Amino acid sequence: MIFRVLDPTNEMTRAGGGPAARPSSLRGKTIGFISNGKEGAKSYFAQLERMLRAEFGIAHVVWRTKSNYSAPADAYIIDEIPKWDAVVTGVGD
Amino acid sequence: MQTKKAALTSKTYDVDDFAAAQEFYHANGWTDGLPVVPATEAAVEACLEWALMPPDELIGIEPVRAQPITAEKLAINAVMAGCLPVHFPVVAAAWQAMMKEEFLLHGVTSSTGGCAILAIVNGPVRLEIGANGGFNALANSDRATAVIGRALRLALINLLDVRPGGIDRTTLGHPGKFSYCLAEDEEDTLWQPLSVVRGIPEGVSAVTVMAAMAPRQIMNEWTIDPREILETFAAEMRANQRHYSIYGGNYAIVIPKQLREHIERAGWTKRDIAEFLYERARVRRADWADVGKGAIVRDRGERIHAALESPDHLLVVAAGGPAGGFGAVIAPWMGSKTKAVTAAIGACIDCEPPKG
Repeated sequence: MIFRVLDPTNEMTRAGGGPAARPSSLRGKTIGFISNGKEGAKSYFAQLERMLRAEFGIAHVVWRTKSNYSAPADAYIIDEIPKWDAVVTGVGD
Repeated sequence: MQTKKAALTSKTYDVDDFAAAQEFYHANGWTDGLPVVPATEAAVEACLEWALMPPDELIGIEPVRAQPITAEKLAINAVMAGCLPVHFPVVAAAWQAMMKEEFLLHGVTSSTGGCAILAIVNGPVRLEIGANGGFNALANSDRATAVIGRALRLALINLLDVRPGGIDRTTLGHPGKFSYCLAEDEEDTLWQPLSVVRGIPEGVSAVTVMAAMAPRQIMNEWTIDPREILETFAAEMRANQRHYSIYGGNYAIVIPKQLREHIERAGWTKRDIAEFLYERARVRRADWADVGKGAIVRDRGERIHAALESPDHLLVVAAGGPAGGFGAVIAPWMGSKTKAVTAAIGACIDCEPPKG
């Protein structure tokens, strides 16, 4: 018996936008770090800052920490993002 | 006059037989690892008709990833989980509740912390669907709660990509992530149903969702004193605070008939239980040093942490088989970052998309 079955995945396009354009170079740029606030994030971002400064020549780093590590970044952080050239956010557990 | 029903719009796939359907679903990563019921148009349409929902009805929008969830897509997953049409309104109401901002669905489903979504069913719908709040209430007690709980998880997998290693970053998880649903045994208790305690009118069916860790079973068959019985529950809550998370949140406790009758006969209400446990389920931060977590006590050793931020945060559920001096404590995922949400079944509680 042949079954015709329906696709169970969400085929709808999300209302949100896609990824931002990537900068061609990081030299002289300001990078925002959005930490989830967990213990592991501190050393992760500290090492990342050293690498970005030494290897990619970035000019400034702005550190911000979410008030709730399981929720999106706070509105005041989101509002700051346009002032930065790129953002790094990630899980540090 | 017959009205033309709206057509389903999901992509379709032809498979040769039942076995081929299983392999097709598994190969696409569309299951929880167990066999699924092939979601045919007829089965999905039957769910939608029972719930009086057109296929494109918006159940809600997941607030963080802005992902719309439609009735058609939810029904497909419900059918796959084994739901009959009569089960679908419970699944839909649970998903409405899960998408409320305060539930923090994205955090709940992506966290390393490993919670599942517990659904507690109240009201007349329990009898309609054959849900059983008696024997084995927290496990394979009946078909209805088994498939409803499974449908919530399958829909997370397929509609929000909550797959292990994908959005789901859970370290361990627990078996409730296959299915975690129970019905309150309203016919055999003097207490108000959980839904009524949480503000739903009496006689209205409802489902409460909670980001929940695995049940921790307690035993005390050696007293009829409500205080002593509840001390055992409080001890288990304190144990969770020390060993898992010290922060207060929505705890659920399940009290089966044997212990429940002692508490009821003493005239205690659910509110009395909540107020007692609010006072008793507390630990000092310094207690962390006893369980290997001294590094994070710091200079706050004398600080008192309550398992419940207020008595309102305790979900007391009357359920379980008739014999045995057992009970269960179900701890929250990570304190109060998420809040339990109760939704009426078959009523629109939040028809507007979330703001922002």
